[in-house]
Amino acid sequence: MTIREAADALRARRVSAVELAAAAHARIARLNPKLNAFLTVTAEQALEQARQADAELAAGRDRGPLHGIPVAVKDLFLTRGTRTTCGSKVYEDYVPAIDAAVVERLRAAGAVMFGKLNMHEMAYGITSANPHYGPVSNPWNPKHSPGGSSGGSGAAVAAQMVYAAMGSDTGGSIRIPAAFCGVVGLKPTYGRVSRYGALPLAYSLDHMGPLARSVRDAAMVLNAIAGYDRRDPTSSRHPVVDFIPDDGCSIRQLRIGFPTNFYFDHLDAGVESSVRGVFARAQSLGALVKPVRVPDIAALNTVGRVIQLAEAAAVAEPHLEHREKFGPDVLALFDQGRLVPATDYINAQRLRRLLIREFDRVWSEVDCLMFPTTPTAAPRIGDATVRLGGRDEDVRLAVTRLVRGINVLGLPALALPCGLGASGLPMGIQIVGPAWEEALILRVGAALEDGGVGIPPCPAA
Amino acid sequence: MKDWKAIAKASGMEVDPAQLNRVAGPLEALEAAFRPLVKDLDPGVEPATGWRLEEDGK
Repeated sequence: MTIREAADALRARRVSAVELAAAAHARIARLNPKLNAFLTVTAEQALEQARQADAELAAGRDRGPLHGIPVAVKDLFLTRGTRTTCGSKVYEDYVPAIDAAVVERLRAAGAVMFGKLNMHEMAYGITSANPHYGPVSNPWNPKHSPGGSSGGSGAAVAAQMVYAAMGSDTGGSIRIPAAFCGVVGLKPTYGRVSRYGALPLAYSLDHMGPLARSVRDAAMVLNAIAGYDRRDPTSSRHPVVDFIPDDGCSIRQLRIGFPTNFYFDHLDAGVESSVRGVFARAQSLGALVKPVRVPDIAALNTVGRVIQLAEAAAVAEPHLEHREKFGPDVLALFDQGRLVPATDYINAQRLRRLLIREFDRVWSEVDCLMFPTTPTAAPRIGDATVRLGGRDEDVRLAVTRLVRGINVLGLPALALPCGLGASGLPMGIQIVGPAWEEALILRVGAALEDGGVGIPPCPAA
Repeated sequence: MKDWKAIAKASGMEVDPAQLNRVAGPLEALEAAFRPLVKDLDPGVEPATGWRLEEDGK
C-alpha cells in the first residue's frame, strides 16, 4: 500500500491511523531483528500520535496526505527527547532538546514517527555496516549491502516497516540505498529542504530528502518538508510548488538526455540493459530521447571528494582526540581530510563554480537527464572491490561514481527502481533535472512508473 | 609523491603507521586527479561558497 492508498483508506474510514501504526509496529517487531534498520523504535509515542491523528480526522481537521502515516527518520535528524546517534559512538548518549526542521514539518503534517534509522557511521560511507550498532541488512538478500549511508531508511521502506523515511545525501546517500533496496529516493535541489537540526557531514554537499515506495509518495513527503527556513543559512526562498504529479501525467515531447560520455562506462551488463529498457519505455510514452555530451564528470567527482574530505574533517575535528570511538574506514577518511590543504579546498570550490556553469549548458539541449543510479546492484557485505567492465574497482568509488557529481552541482535527482538483476537484486535509474525542477523529474518518474517501470514488492515484506 | 607521514607529523596528527597506509594511498590518487584540474584556473574564478551580509550579518 502506498501513502496515497493509505490516506484514501483513512478518509474512507476503511482503516484508522491506530491500525496503520499497529501494523507498522508488528512489522518492525518481526523484521527488525533480521534487518537492524531501526536503532530506536518509538512505538508508544507513535501509537499516541496515531490516536491523535484519528481524533483530528474525526473532528474534521485534516493535515494532508501524511496525516496518520507511519514514517521514520535517519538517526542524524535531531529528535527532541529521543536519542540521536548519527550512527556514532560520539553521540551514543545524545538526547537533543530540539527537533530538526524536517522532523518539525513531518510532525506538523500529521505523520506518525516510528523512530530512528540505522546508518553508516557519521553518514560517511556507502555500506551501512555500522561497527557500533551492527550492520543493516538488505531486505532482498541479507548477505548483500543495503547501501548507505541511509541504509536503514532504504531497508525500512523496502521491508514496508514504514511508508516513507527521511535520509540525507552528501555523495549519493539517499540514491544508493534507494537503488540497492529497490525503493524511490529523492535528493532535492540544494537549499530546497532545511538542513537545520540534521547533524552535518559536509555543509555544502548535504541534502535532505525522502525514500518512499512510489514516486508520488516521495512527492507527498517533499510537499511537507520543502521551503525556506531562516535557521539554515543556505535555505532558499525559491517558490515551493505542489510537487505531486497529476494522474495520467505525460512526458510527450519532453527532451530526455541520454549521456554519451561517462555515465554508461564500466556498467554491469544487467544494469545497462535495464536502463536502456527504461529509455525505450520513455520513447514509447512520447518522450524525445536525445544523446547529449555532459561535462567532465570525473573532474566533478574529484572536486566533490576534495570538498567532502575537508568539510567532513572540519566537522569531526573536535571529536578526533577520541580516535578509539571511530571505525577504521571513517577514521581514515577524517585523517585524509585533515591533510587536505586549505588551498585545495578553496580551489575545489572555484572549480565547482566553473563546473556548475558548464553543466548549466546541458539544459539548453535537454529538459532532464537519465542514467543509472549505481553501476551495479548491491555488492555482498564485506566486498572491497567490484568487477565492472573487465576491471576491479574499489567498491566505494564504484558505487558513488554516478551519484557524487550531482551533489557538487546541487541539482535535484530522483532514483527509482527499474529492474531486478540476475542475482534477484534491484537495479536503479536516476533522473536529474535543472535546479528547482523537482516537479519535472517527479513527473517523469511518475509517468515511467505509471508506464510499468518498477519492480515487484520486496519478498521480505 | 608527497611524504604524507611527514605532513601528518608536522600537522600534529598522531596516526599509527597502519592507519597511515589507509590515508596515504587514497590521498595520492586524489592528488593525481586533482592537481591537473587546478593548473590553469583563472584567478577571477571565485569559490562557490559565500555569505550575504544582508542575511548572515543579522
